[in-house]
Amino acid sequence: MKHKYIFTVHVMILALFFSSCKKYLEEFPNDALSSERAIVDAGSARAAIIGAYDRVQGYQSANYPTLGTITADNVIFNGTLSQYLQLDQNAIPADNVTTVAAYQGIYRAINSANSIIAALPAISDPLLSTEEKDKILGEAYFIRALGYFDLARGWGGVQLQLQPTIDINAAKGITRSTLQQTYDQVLSDIIEAENLLPDDATTRNRAQKSSASALRARLHLYRKEWALAETYASQVIANTKYVLIPVYKNFFTTPFNTTESVFELSYSVNDRNTFWNLWYLSSGGGQYTLKPSVAIINKLNDPATGGTRKTLIAGTGNNIYGVLYNSSATGADPSYVIRIAELYLIRAEARAQQDKLPGALADLNEIRRRAGVPAATASAKPEILLAIENENAVEFAFEAHRWFDLVRTERAGAVLGITDQRFWLFPIPLADVLSDPDVDQNPGY
Amino acid sequence: MKFFYKKSVWVMVLLLIATFTYAQPFVISGKVASSETGQPLPGATISWSEGAEIADDKGFFELKTGKLLQSIIVSLAGFETQEIPVKGRTLINILLQADKKQLDEVVVTGYATQNRKFIAGAVTTVKGEELRNNPVAGFNQLLQGKTTGVQVLSNSGVPGGGVTFRVRGTNSINASSDPLYIIDGVFVSNADPIQTGLGGQQQSNPIADLNVEDIDNITILKDASATAIYGSLGANGVILVTTKRGRLNSKGRISFNTYQGWSTAINKFKVTNGPETALLTNEARVNTAADGGAVVAPIPDVANQPTYNRVSDLFRTGLTSNYDLSVRGGSEKSTYYLSLGYLKQESIVKPSDFERYTARFNYDNYVTNQLKVGTSVGLTRTRRNVSSNDNNPRGVVNSAIFVRSYLPVYNANGTYARYGAFDNHLALIENLDNDAVGWRSIANLYAEYSFSPALKFKSSFSLDNNSAYENNYTNTLLVAGVSTNGTATSTETKNLVLTNEQVLTYIKSFGRNKQHTINALAGNTINTVLNQNTGATGNGFASNDLTAISVAAIRSGSSSRSQAKLVSFFGKVNYTYDNKYTVDASLRADASSRFGVNNQWGYFPSAGFTWRASQEKFIQALGFFNDLKFRASAGVTGNQNGIDPYGSKGLWNSGSNYLEQAGTGPAQLANPDLTWESTTQYDVGIDFTILKNRLSVSFDYYDKYTRDLLLSVPVPSRTGFSFYFQNFGAVSNKGIELSVRSTNISANNFKWTTDFNISRNRNNIEKLASDITLGASGRNISILKEGNPVNSFQLYKQLYVDPQTGNAVYEDVNNDGIITAADRQIVGNALPRFTGGITNNLTYKNVDLSFFFYFQEGNKIMNMNDFFMVHGNTQANIGFVPRQLDRWQRPGDITDIPRLTTFSGNPTANNSAANNYGGNVANLSSRYLEDASFIRLKTISLGYNFPSLLLKRLRLNNLRVYAQATNLLTLTKYGGLDPEVSAQSSNSNTVGYDWATVPQPKTFQAGLTITF
Repeated sequence: MKHKYIFTVHVMILALFFSSCKKYLEEFPNDALSSERAIVDAGSARAAIIGAYDRVQGYQSANYPTLGTITADNVIFNGTLSQYLQLDQNAIPADNVTTVAAYQGIYRAINSANSIIAALPAISDPLLSTEEKDKILGEAYFIRALGYFDLARGWGGVQLQLQPTIDINAAKGITRSTLQQTYDQVLSDIIEAENLLPDDATTRNRAQKSSASALRARLHLYRKEWALAETYASQVIANTKYVLIPVYKNFFTTPFNTTESVFELSYSVNDRNTFWNLWYLSSGGGQYTLKPSVAIINKLNDPATGGTRKTLIAGTGNNIYGVLYNSSATGADPSYVIRIAELYLIRAEARAQQDKLPGALADLNEIRRRAGVPAATASAKPEILLAIENENAVEFAFEAHRWFDLVRTERAGAVLGITDQRFWLFPIPLADVLSDPDVDQNPGY
Repeated sequence: MKFFYKKSVWVMVLLLIATFTYAQPFVISGKVASSETGQPLPGATISWSEGAEIADDKGFFELKTGKLLQSIIVSLAGFETQEIPVKGRTLINILLQADKKQLDEVVVTGYATQNRKFIAGAVTTVKGEELRNNPVAGFNQLLQGKTTGVQVLSNSGVPGGGVTFRVRGTNSINASSDPLYIIDGVFVSNADPIQTGLGGQQQSNPIADLNVEDIDNITILKDASATAIYGSLGANGVILVTTKRGRLNSKGRISFNTYQGWSTAINKFKVTNGPETALLTNEARVNTAADGGAVVAPIPDVANQPTYNRVSDLFRTGLTSNYDLSVRGGSEKSTYYLSLGYLKQESIVKPSDFERYTARFNYDNYVTNQLKVGTSVGLTRTRRNVSSNDNNPRGVVNSAIFVRSYLPVYNANGTYARYGAFDNHLALIENLDNDAVGWRSIANLYAEYSFSPALKFKSSFSLDNNSAYENNYTNTLLVAGVSTNGTATSTETKNLVLTNEQVLTYIKSFGRNKQHTINALAGNTINTVLNQNTGATGNGFASNDLTAISVAAIRSGSSSRSQAKLVSFFGKVNYTYDNKYTVDASLRADASSRFGVNNQWGYFPSAGFTWRASQEKFIQALGFFNDLKFRASAGVTGNQNGIDPYGSKGLWNSGSNYLEQAGTGPAQLANPDLTWESTTQYDVGIDFTILKNRLSVSFDYYDKYTRDLLLSVPVPSRTGFSFYFQNFGAVSNKGIELSVRSTNISANNFKWTTDFNISRNRNNIEKLASDITLGASGRNISILKEGNPVNSFQLYKQLYVDPQTGNAVYEDVNNDGIITAADRQIVGNALPRFTGGITNNLTYKNVDLSFFFYFQEGNKIMNMNDFFMVHGNTQANIGFVPRQLDRWQRPGDITDIPRLTTFSGNPTANNSAANNYGGNVANLSSRYLEDASFIRLKTISLGYNFPSLLLKRLRLNNLRVYAQATNLLTLTKYGGLDPEVSAQSSNSNTVGYDWATVPQPKTFQAGLTITF
């Protein structure tokens, strides 16, 4: 009898397990949100836009500035990792780690922005004022504009994803846009951002109306829309919030967020930027993979070209290294996305292209004066344009400028010896080419 | 009384006893001993028509029968059962013969024990005896070459380091291909709790927490008939470990075992000396300038460049010490086994070492005739001094071999000198402080109730708690600590597996002559797996003497947690007719929290059939086979191991912070359909024994097809995701297994046996969404491609070095006249075609000699040391290996090492300077892929068992001394240090890399075993 009893109890227990299985098998992580609960109220909307900035940091902290420097003539490969050798030699396979990471990182930021743009208008939370809603939305548009701009100048016209990805199949059918279409999208997003964003006197590490205008000036420069470039550059330069900082090195030493900065991404000990590691010597805790070239060392050390900008490098002999990123203990170096110096050089170039040569020279010499180098005296348009090109190379020696400038002005062949123009664009990642029937690889890869 | 044991008076003693007992009628006494060794055999069962007795620990027995007997039956596991006619005797000495056929062996299988005769599945067993006393901590590593169908590779020579273990090939790509380990019924975690990064190497072998000395036997379940009862856990095979237990009615026996070992490097790294390095550098500079590249001044005074020998600083003679102490015995109602173990092993490359303390307590008690309770508890504490190598420029080996040999070790001011990305090797050896302490409890508590002799119910609770407490301090003398002014991290990781299990078994024979036998079971399990981790980091210390995180200038913390649950119901029926035909069938239903709500339940059936042909009259009439058995089975098993517990959910991760504010962002796409991988397996096998049981052969063929692979399918980056977790793809494994056991000579004093086994597995990716490339730090030279096996290498194939130009010429696969990424091709595979082992055991009187060879054939290794150190000067901070000296120098030179240059113009041209070492090829060529087949004398051991005469005098039961050598001899064409290496083992898809890895050592050891 006892046996039967035990058996029955056991069967009953089993039956209970069956019925409560569903509940028993429900497990959820404590460090992630369900997608449906991601943007539902004021708090989660704020968290989402913060997360979008984090995604921008993801590609702007190291990958994008690497693509803009080692590919050109200011920085050479001095490490062990093949992806940097490939970039230095401009022999970039479609699975080059840095280009793939940058490309994926940009789209990750865009997907964050898309999620906010799609979800925010529907949210009604008394704690979320219209002003704040507009600000978050404006920031999302700015981030998407910056993302597509950084894609376009690196990879050419790309696929325009304007909806958040929720279902993998819904993304099908979007093919590559032309470069002009991509830039059109950037412009339309910038205009949205300009309309939605506020401007205050101090914020430099979140998007503001004026930072959108600065990006717009750069976009027009890339599109060779000289008059518009000049207009928007002037608009930003006229803003008293932005002033060339008298001592060059002060913009990259603490405290950051100087008046030089139009838009930078901030970091801290809890949110580190470890890009310094690629520049520093191993005796300083770094890898020394990115090494200033002999040419840029000479230019920076020459009082006639470098001036105070020689503070961008340190070390001696064969161990000279870049110190633009130098917060090795705290990792607080910002990502320098737009500096006011750039707006002067944008306007200089835009003016020169419109044959407003004295104005161009004046803007160029603003930058030279700040660096403590003699004023440029070129008078003909080609010489002035060349002087601006050279000034960009030194002023933004280790920022994501030189490569994109030489490609934009179609000078990469003459200056860098990369005569095959197909290699002026980076390859679409191999995994994308293999997994996406809607994408075509850039020619030559 | 002890002098009675002397062999010389053995007969006399028995006569005395005989005389003594003659006075009492109906009493039979005697002694059970081994027919081979003459040693007494405790624990044998002597049964007669109305009762049974068990021989005591000296083999003596006494039967008070109350009447005259016709015959008695003597049985003991591992020996042939004998029926002995009494013929009126009162003293009977019994010699039992070891059961060489192994056929009557009882084998522990899934949730049950079965007689080997009737098992339909592919099941092999290894005795603990065969594995003990090797200078290796983990039993899984020791199974290498010991049995068919398993492929075992030590990833490095670091003691307690990672091991890659596969049963019948690699079934999975993103999920784990590791088998399920079950120790005394406890589902144990094979998740590595150590967090300290080692540069791509799997950090530790969690299975090394079990002391090999405690193992009684290991059963390996390979085919579906055997593993389907484990459902979604069974697809990668199941390893069942049974630890030692006491015997009823046996006196406590104390055993002490120890050995000391000395390990040295078989080969050491070789680099070019100072003048050679300078010469190669200058030659490259001259050539580069001639090609039109940068002009760089040569290194002056080449011949007088100094040479700093860093490599010799790395190696040492590693010491191994092992001590085991155990007590084992039992009373009428209970049995016990208690053991303590200590193992300390130093790596041959400084400064890693491994230390392990183990304790085990196994206990069974018959509370009543029906109720039995018991426990198995294993406790382990490990300590590792973890050192990073492999793909880490701050690893000890890297810092010694990669730095150019003409560069001084110290700066002029006496500080450590560092170059490029590399740290100083001496700084690392002297200052590395990565301490990992592991605590492991593997425990099981059970109660078994017998309703009748046929029907039993067993319920058990078990836990495996594996925790690691890591404290690392990186001081300011190391590169990693320079920028932070000292970094301390402390991490506590816990992997917990809890299992509750109920099993009802029914075993009964009935019918005429008991020709029908049923062995059935039904049960359920509830299983929870919890992984937790909490860590703290402190940066900035006032002094290198301070290492507590609490006093650091900047402090931060981190944590993670994941939990998965599994609910299962299962049943199995095994029916045997007339000892000839056996059919079995099993079914398991599993529900797992890991999977999508649409597909949470899975069902795993299997069926098997065995025909013991040797029981048929017509086979017996042949007079050839002592035993002959045919097996066939089919079934479905699943795999959910290694899958993220939340892999099916749509997630936004948090921690995407900015400006000290918490942020969130899209992290994972939902897949409510996500479910297990399922493997369908067919197996046919034959086992036979011939020549008077002297030759036994077992052969298996299997065909496995795994569908619905849990795959991170690459998705377009434009979606904001790089992959999507889904069931897509298929992998097949087909193979044959052959094992032969032969008793070559069996004379009175001399015995020679040979065991041979060989396995072949062919892996193929049957279906894949798109190629997946990975490995070698983004160089992506490992590839998963439909129609090819996993672990293939994709490289540019170097055809030759043009004798005229000295430039490398690569195969232009698509014939477009240029060399681009499209010209990479699969040129080899890291998986061996064949693996196997040969063990020979020779015994002459008290001396025994055994030697064991392991071999594998057909696998390739990417020699990353050559990849980096035959670089044509493209790596400004890395020296050369002597192979670089074979470079092309002048027209007419025939070599496979192209001309030195760093010129990079025109990277798409074939036979151009750009692609010698850089350009589009950038060293990713077949030049560095090598055949790593090898045959290795794994162990050779010579032992001496002291004669019993002497033992009696010393009051010992057993005393054995031996000397052994491990990895004494290796035959291989591989040019690196050691062919047994896998530097990127933390990812199962990047097998076959040799990358600044600690090689396998060669070890000499001496040991002794004493039993009181």
